[in-house]
Amino acid sequence: MLSNVVPSVFNGLVLGAFYAFVAIGLSLIMNLTGTINLAHGSFLTLAGYLAFTLVSKGTSFWFALLLAPLLTVVVGVVVERLLIVPLYKRDPIFSLLLTFGLSLIAEEVYRLIWGPNGVPFSAPGVLGGGISLGFMQFPTLRLFIAGVLAAAMVALALFLWRTRFGLRLRAAIQDTEMISAMGTNTQLLYMVNFALGMALAGLAGVLASGLLGLSPTMGNALLMPAFVVAIIGGMGSLFGSIVGGLLVGLAISVTTLFVPAANEIIMYILMAVVLLIRPRGLFGTEGLFG
Amino acid sequence: MSESFLAVDNLNTFYGKSHILHDVSLTVGKGELVALLGLNGAGKTTTMRSILGLTRPRAGTVKFSGRDISGWPSYRVSRLGVGYVPEGRRMFKELTVLENLQIAETGRKGAWTIDRVFQRLPKLQELRARKSGRLSGGEQEMLAIARALVANPTMMLVDEPSQGLAPLIVEEVYKILEEMKAAGTSILLVEQNALLALKVADRAYVMDEGRIVYSGVASELERDRAMIRTLMGLQEAAS
Repeated sequence: MLSNVVPSVFNGLVLGAFYAFVAIGLSLIMNLTGTINLAHGSFLTLAGYLAFTLVSKGTSFWFALLLAPLLTVVVGVVVERLLIVPLYKRDPIFSLLLTFGLSLIAEEVYRLIWGPNGVPFSAPGVLGGGISLGFMQFPTLRLFIAGVLAAAMVALALFLWRTRFGLRLRAAIQDTEMISAMGTNTQLLYMVNFALGMALAGLAGVLASGLLGLSPTMGNALLMPAFVVAIIGGMGSLFGSIVGGLLVGLAISVTTLFVPAANEIIMYILMAVVLLIRPRGLFGTEGLFG
Repeated sequence: MSESFLAVDNLNTFYGKSHILHDVSLTVGKGELVALLGLNGAGKTTTMRSILGLTRPRAGTVKFSGRDISGWPSYRVSRLGVGYVPEGRRMFKELTVLENLQIAETGRKGAWTIDRVFQRLPKLQELRARKSGRLSGGEQEMLAIARALVANPTMMLVDEPSQGLAPLIVEEVYKILEEMKAAGTSILLVEQNALLALKVADRAYVMDEGRIVYSGVASELERDRAMIRTLMGLQEAAS
């Protein structure tokens, strides 16, 4: 029994780290601009396909892991500047509809370019094996993914809490107008913030490809759990998203083991329970990123 | 009177379709403290917002230090050396006192640094690690002023600094404003409490329904009992 549960717990944590990652990207963009970016998953998928193409053209996986997210940032920022910026000052429903439309278009475009079915994209051989943890074997790829995601989250936290730019971002979330009256170019802030969200989506996209299978719907499949995670953790709380993500990942993998039929609904049950007890989510405060 | 440092000329500002400011003109000289008085809703705050670029006027010009800054985004206006102490303080509530000040540091050299602010307002130093949302109203007002100071502005727009504060703290706030004026900073002061503002101001404007209806030397306006009664009496009735 235990030999089943322990790997499940580990797998659940890795899956949860993805959810957390996507949720943080969504929250970053939503907190500052009020934009609920329904195209977030599409950018994630894009990064996966870009990495796939780079690797199939002979680039190394490691280089693709770096370059694909960067290209995704470029595409994302162009989309933000051209399409989303004009909607920032309007009702959030406009950007919601726009990004929803974008995600539908993107999915079709991916089908046209890379085909309707998944493409095989796996990490290099170094990551193919398993590592002995003493009591069990654990796939190296999953450990690697968990490590990269954790490192990226630490880097993001350092950026937000230890740099002047991060300080301005946190302030702008609370009062954009005031930060502008104090000499900060808020458009630049919006752009960098969106780029950050895209970088997170891009990194998650490349890493997820080897694990979840690269297909046109890969990113969108992560979107719904990510929203649930953001709500469980408390909208806007970075730390909450991490805890929420790990909880959801864990709940799904353990449920899959014992009650497979319930593995899709479990996160909603978890969300309902959390919201019943704590309507603002586990770490939600009225200020953001508290 | 000294040369005008800030010159606002025939400003017309709208919120949607409502015409808020009608041909508002005013000047503030270098090192001068000018009070902008009037009842609630007279257009005082809108005038400040229009100068700062937070609300874009539809017509009229704003000149600062000889430059036409009409239509500039507020961050550029700010970088020219225009400080803003907004109505209601507008702290970044989730940030600490120290972080609120760090944001305001612009790198423009001048007399004020965070250390100097802490020397002048030791209370803020004591509270530097506290979230600004947890400060009292008076402490927040001090921080709002301190936040403007560390940017070393040459011109300060101060909106309702006495609002909701105990008399002792109001006194402290006004002492700082006078020190800034003494140090050569130009100040445009919006205030509901006309008598309070007139004690420190060189000149004053009175606004009503989006128009400048009076302008003159502060000490003269102070003696205009009828005007004062209107400004003060109705203010008390409104609050």
